[in-house]
Amino acid sequence: MKKKLNLAPVFFVGPHVILFIVFILLPTIYGIYASFTKWNLMNDPVWVGLDNYKTILFDNSSTFHTQFNNGLKNTLIFVLLSVPLLIVLPLLIAVALEHKKVKGKSLIQAILYVPGLISISAGALIWLLLFNKQLGMVGNVFGSEVSWPTHQPYAWILIIIITIWGGVGGNLIIYRASISGVAQDLYESAEMDGAGPIRRFASITLPSIRFPLVYTFVMTTAGAFNVFGQPLMMTDGGPRQSTHVLMMYIRQLAFGNGESIAGMASAMAVLLGLVILLISALQYYVMNRNAA
Amino acid sequence: MANQVAGQLDKAPLVNGQRAQKSKGSGISISKYISYLFLIILCVIWIVPVVFGITTSFRSQTEVVSSGFRMFPKEWIFDNYIAILNNTSTAPILRWLMNSLFIATMHTFLVIVVISITGYGYSRMKFKGRDTLFFTLLGISFFPGVVNLIPSYKIIDALGWVNTSWAMIIPGLAGMGNLFLVRQFMNGIPKELDESAHVDGANHFRIYASIIVPLMKPILIVCGLFSFTGSWNDFLWPVIVFTDVDKMPVTAGLLLLQDIYGNYRMIGQLMGSAILAIIPTLLLFLFAQKYFVQSINLNSGIKG
Repeated sequence: MKKKLNLAPVFFVGPHVILFIVFILLPTIYGIYASFTKWNLMNDPVWVGLDNYKTILFDNSSTFHTQFNNGLKNTLIFVLLSVPLLIVLPLLIAVALEHKKVKGKSLIQAILYVPGLISISAGALIWLLLFNKQLGMVGNVFGSEVSWPTHQPYAWILIIIITIWGGVGGNLIIYRASISGVAQDLYESAEMDGAGPIRRFASITLPSIRFPLVYTFVMTTAGAFNVFGQPLMMTDGGPRQSTHVLMMYIRQLAFGNGESIAGMASAMAVLLGLVILLISALQYYVMNRNAA
Repeated sequence: MANQVAGQLDKAPLVNGQRAQKSKGSGISISKYISYLFLIILCVIWIVPVVFGITTSFRSQTEVVSSGFRMFPKEWIFDNYIAILNNTSTAPILRWLMNSLFIATMHTFLVIVVISITGYGYSRMKFKGRDTLFFTLLGISFFPGVVNLIPSYKIIDALGWVNTSWAMIIPGLAGMGNLFLVRQFMNGIPKELDESAHVDGANHFRIYASIIVPLMKPILIVCGLFSFTGSWNDFLWPVIVFTDVDKMPVTAGLLLLQDIYGNYRMIGQLMGSAILAIIPTLLLFLFAQKYFVQSINLNSGIKG
């Protein structure tokens, strides 16, 4: 009876394992392999060892080197500008919403959440109109004379604005759920002891939601490194490549017009992947250590 | 739970130590007004672009160009939408919307099937190496997705799926995120339920269909909603996989529109297209708001 080979688990778990192997495991391994090759997506990759990495990292005369440096720099600028805002702003909103006397909480939350359900391409078209010099609000109401997408630092501001607009809602909901889970009597006793709102926030709220904070920080950062849609739609990488992020170069090299340089693009992808892994690990390490 | 509360009470004395004497009443009302002001300003900033996009889609091009900024049109017209729907050659937005609808619906349906069946396997069945397998896959899935982007295209190409909806429907089913949530949730269902069903002679398929799935409804709905909106709004992957204008989903189509309606020559049509593209997910939110917002409460993985 017990010796009978049980095939039921294979039926339940097997299909997903196959999907996982085909669409995650194999492509990941192949992506790493391809980064050591010369490959145009059509023919078989030709092994070149560390050549791609040497070119990208050290060959000053190569356009790949310049593209990688510029792309990574711009990606980092995006991460540094967007992540702090995407952590702090939703936290402030959550605290303001938790205020006992504030009414219409769910309406306000819905309004702030909805842009997260709007695709980057649709959102970008709308914001570009708003910031259009002739037609939009910024030119006509605030009297701005510049064309935002084609001048710095306005191009970055534009990209960050749409990112915050779309990204605040998700983290806000995580924070609200966590804060509402904090025991109310803690606040009440603190209030009776005369602790003001800031004091209560720092001594009760923040320590109580440490895990969601770490979680959103790490996830938001990793997500920000993959930035692609906002600069592609809003500025097309301009002005003068100053918002051209690494994902845009990777896509352009592998899938752009002309012959594919997928091997080089894979090497850039692996390097970006390593940066993301390193930063995430570092965040976990630092934040967990400080928590202990 | 008791532990958590005790842990938090430990911190209370910190607050006790501080003897800040404050006129309590005024403190509270000031913080209330600051909260309101802050929230209202944000809400206005959040809404204005959408409203302006909508109203502009009802403006004539002459009004857009001539009258400077106005929040609402002098005269509401529907010409833009008529023009959009009639343009089936360069910008077939109705096609794009249909493509998106097919992709997102199929993807969502399959996600629910796959995660519920697979989740059942990892949570309710006993087999050797079960947890090792699960956590190995989970660990691998943390590896940044950029790395598999280019070979994924190669696989889609080998399967003959370039420029087809399958390219967007199938690969996402391999993900581990939803599966992790479902397994967590399913682990919380008492084992006695299926054990007694087992004793009554029910097999796994029976237990899955008549006991577990009904109990999993809330988490399956949440995963379904996020799969739908995620699939509907995906941008990078469709931009890579689709070159055929007729086959692409609407997000990728809107990128083309920027060129087609270049320099905002046909601004009303451009806005109308953007608005059409966001209606389905907004409707979904309107009807299923509580699931979007409650989702995190269900998610025991997040709450520390």
